[in-house]
Amino acid sequence: MDFKFGEKEEKLRKEIREFTKKELPPGWLSSMLEEESDDKDWAFAMSMSKKLAEKGWLTMSWPEEYGGKGASLWEQLVYSEEASYWGIPGVTMGIGGVDWVGPSLMMFGSEEQKNKYLPLIASGEPDGIWCTAYSEPNAGSDFAKIRTRAVREGDEYVINGQKIWTSAAHRARWCWLAVKTDPDAAKPHNGISVFVVDMKSKGITVRPLMNYVGLHIFNEVFFDDLRVPAANLVGKENNGWYQLMHSLGYERGSIAGRCYGYNKRILDELIVYTRGNGLFREREIRHKLADIAVELETQKVLGYETIWKMSKGDSPVYEPSRDKVFNDHILERLAMLGTEILGGYSQIDPLSRNCKWTKLNGHMEKLFWLFLGFAFAAGTDEVELNIVGQFGLKLPKSY
Amino acid sequence: MDFDFSEDQVMIIDSARKFLEKECPKDKVRELKEDEKGYDPELWSRMAEMGWMGLILPEEYEGTGMDFFDLTILMEEMGRNILPAPFFDTVALCSLPILEYGTSEQKKRFLPKIACGEEIWTLALTEPSASYEPSGVELRATSLQEDYVLEGTKLFVPYANVADRLLVVARTSQEGITVLIVDSGSQGIRTEVIPTTAHDKQCEVVFDKVRVPKDNVLGEVGKGWEIVEFLLQRVSVLKCAEMLGGAQFVLEMANSYAKERVQFDKPIGSFQAIQHKLAEVFINVEGLRRLVYEAAWNISTGSPSRLLTSMVKAKANEVYQQTCIQGVKVHGAIGFTEELDLSLYFLRTKASEFMLGDTGFHRERIAVELEDYQPLFMSV
Repeated sequence: MDFKFGEKEEKLRKEIREFTKKELPPGWLSSMLEEESDDKDWAFAMSMSKKLAEKGWLTMSWPEEYGGKGASLWEQLVYSEEASYWGIPGVTMGIGGVDWVGPSLMMFGSEEQKNKYLPLIASGEPDGIWCTAYSEPNAGSDFAKIRTRAVREGDEYVINGQKIWTSAAHRARWCWLAVKTDPDAAKPHNGISVFVVDMKSKGITVRPLMNYVGLHIFNEVFFDDLRVPAANLVGKENNGWYQLMHSLGYERGSIAGRCYGYNKRILDELIVYTRGNGLFREREIRHKLADIAVELETQKVLGYETIWKMSKGDSPVYEPSRDKVFNDHILERLAMLGTEILGGYSQIDPLSRNCKWTKLNGHMEKLFWLFLGFAFAAGTDEVELNIVGQFGLKLPKSY
Repeated sequence: MDFDFSEDQVMIIDSARKFLEKECPKDKVRELKEDEKGYDPELWSRMAEMGWMGLILPEEYEGTGMDFFDLTILMEEMGRNILPAPFFDTVALCSLPILEYGTSEQKKRFLPKIACGEEIWTLALTEPSASYEPSGVELRATSLQEDYVLEGTKLFVPYANVADRLLVVARTSQEGITVLIVDSGSQGIRTEVIPTTAHDKQCEVVFDKVRVPKDNVLGEVGKGWEIVEFLLQRVSVLKCAEMLGGAQFVLEMANSYAKERVQFDKPIGSFQAIQHKLAEVFINVEGLRRLVYEAAWNISTGSPSRLLTSMVKAKANEVYQQTCIQGVKVHGAIGFTEELDLSLYFLRTKASEFMLGDTGFHRERIAVELEDYQPLFMSV
C-alpha cells in the first residue's frame, strides 16, 4: 500500500501551477463548463490548447510518435486534477478529441487515420477539434437503437439521419459518428459502425439547441446524403459497439481526476467566501461544507483506485460508472449548497458577466443550472447504476 | 501510488478470516450475547496464540512488531465476522496509548501481559454527559499524599465487567485532565452492565473514593487530553476498519439475497428499485474502504491527519448505518427478524457510531480544520 505520488508527478504538479500563474488572468475561475458557447471564451480556450500542446501536456499519455509524451496514468491524473482545479480551458479538444477519439484511433484506427488525426489533436489547433455524435431523438440511454444509416456505395458510404445533444458540433472540425451499418443484425449492438466525418462536408446541417439558461453547448446535427470515403470507417464494419465500449473506460478513467480537481476548487471557493462573510460560523453551513469535504476526499481516493487498476493493466468495467455516479451526487450537493450560500444573489443570470452584484464570477449559478446536464451527459445516473449493479455486484440485467 | 496488499498483509487477512469463520461462527456470537462475560476466554487465548494482541507491539514486549496498517486490516476482518471480545478495547484503546505515552517501566510491566492475552483492559472516558469533549470529563482525581483519589461515574465503558485494568480519564485540576492506570479490583469501584441493544457489555463504572498510586499516571499530569486526542485522531481509524468489515459483509448478504429471492418470477435483484439501492451502497462501501486505507497508511507512515481521521469516522458512521438499513430493506420482512444474521450487525451500529465520536462530533472537527486551512488557490 502506498498513497504517495512519485517525484515525477510532484514535479509536474509544480510545473502546472507555475504555468497557470503565468498564463491565466488573476482571479481566474474556470469556464470549463461552457467554453464552447461564447466566441471570446472559445478563442481563449483555443489559445490555451495551443499552449498546453507546446508544453506536451495536452495529450501527454499518448506515445511520442503521435504527439504525446508517453506519460504514465498517474502523471495524467495529476495533470487532470491540476488543470481543472485551476480552470485551464481547452483541455479536451472539443468533445472527445483527447479523451476517446485519440485512444480509440490508437486501438482500432488504420495507419492512415492515426497519422492524419492524432497529430492534429495533439497540436491544439482548431483543426484538431472534435464533436461526438452518438445520441439520437429516439436513442438516448438505449443507444444501440440508433437509426442514422450508412450505406456503402463503391468507395464511399452514404449517411442519412439525425443526431442530437451533440456538444460543440458548432466548433468542431471533425465528427466522431456512430451509425447503423446493419439494421437487420439480430442484436442491434452488432450493427453499429464508427466513422470520422469532416464537418465541412456537404450534407451536414448543424442546428443550435439552447439550454435553459441560454448557453449554446449542444446541437442537433442532420445528415442528408452525406458522402464519406470508406477509408473513414474506424475499425471494422459493425464492430462499433465493441469499440466504443472498449474506449469508454479510457474516457471515464481520464475524467476522475478532472472531476475531483474541479469540485475541490468549488469547495475551496465556498470555504473562503463563507469565512469572509461570516456564514461559516453558522453550524448548518459549516457542517454541510464538512460533509461535502468528506465526499470529495472519498471521490479522490475512489478515482485513484480506478487509475491504479488501469495502471496494473486491468481494464476497468464498473469503476468509471461508479465514479460518474459519485461525481453526479457531489455536483448536485455543491450546486445546492453553493446557491444556498449565495442566497438572493444566486438569482443573478450567470451569463451577465458585468453585473456588479455577481458573486464568485457567477460560477455557483452556472453550476446550479448546468449540473443536471452533466448528470445526463455520457450516461445518466440510472444507466450508470445499472452498470455498477450488473458488473460490480454481478446482479442480473435490470432493463 | 499502489493499492496492493503486501504478502504479509494477504496472510493476515486470509488467516484471520479462516480463524474467525471457524472459531467464532454466528451461533457463538449469539451465545455470547447472553453470556455474562460477553466473550469466550478460550477463544481469547487462541487469539493471543495467533499473535493478534501483540500484532503491532515491538518484540521486546512480546509483540510481533507489525505496523498500524496491518492492525487495521485485522480489525476489518473482526468487523466482517463480528468478534464479541474486548480486543479493540484492550489493544486499540489501551495498549497503543501505553506504547505511545507510557514510561519504559509501565511498558515493560503492562504490554507483555496484553500481548500474551493475560490481561483485559478498557478505557473509561465518557460520562453521563456522553460527550467526547474535554468538558465531558468531570470525574475528579484529588491528590492525597502518594495517591490520587477518584470520585465520579464513567458511562459506556466497554467490557469493564471483565477488565483487569482500566485507563481512566480524570480531572486533576480546573483545566487539567490526567489519564490513570487503575486496577479494576481497587476498593471503591462498582461496575454494572448497561442493557444495551447489542448486549455488548458496556458498563457504568462508579468510582467511590478509589485510591490510585501516583506512579500510575499515564503520560503527564494535566495533559491527559493529549492521549484522548491520540485516540480520536489515530485509534478511531481502527474502529472505522471494523465498521468497514461489517458493512462489506452486510452488503454481500443483501447482494446474495437479491440474487436468490424470486418474486414476480424474477430474482428481486433484477429490479432497478433493488439493484440501484445495492449499487449506491456498494459505491459507498468501496469509498469507505479507500478512505480507511488512506488514513491508516498515513498513520503507519508517520503522517497522521486530524482532518482525514475525522472524515473517515464521519463517513464510516454514515455508511455502516446506511448499509444496514438498505440491507434490511432489500431483505424485506425477514430482515426485520432476529434469526437473520444481519440483525447482529445492525444492532451493533449504534455502539460503533458512538465510539470515539459520532458523526456530528467529527463533522464539527472537520469544520474546525477547514476554518483554518489555506486553500491551494490562495497559497500559490
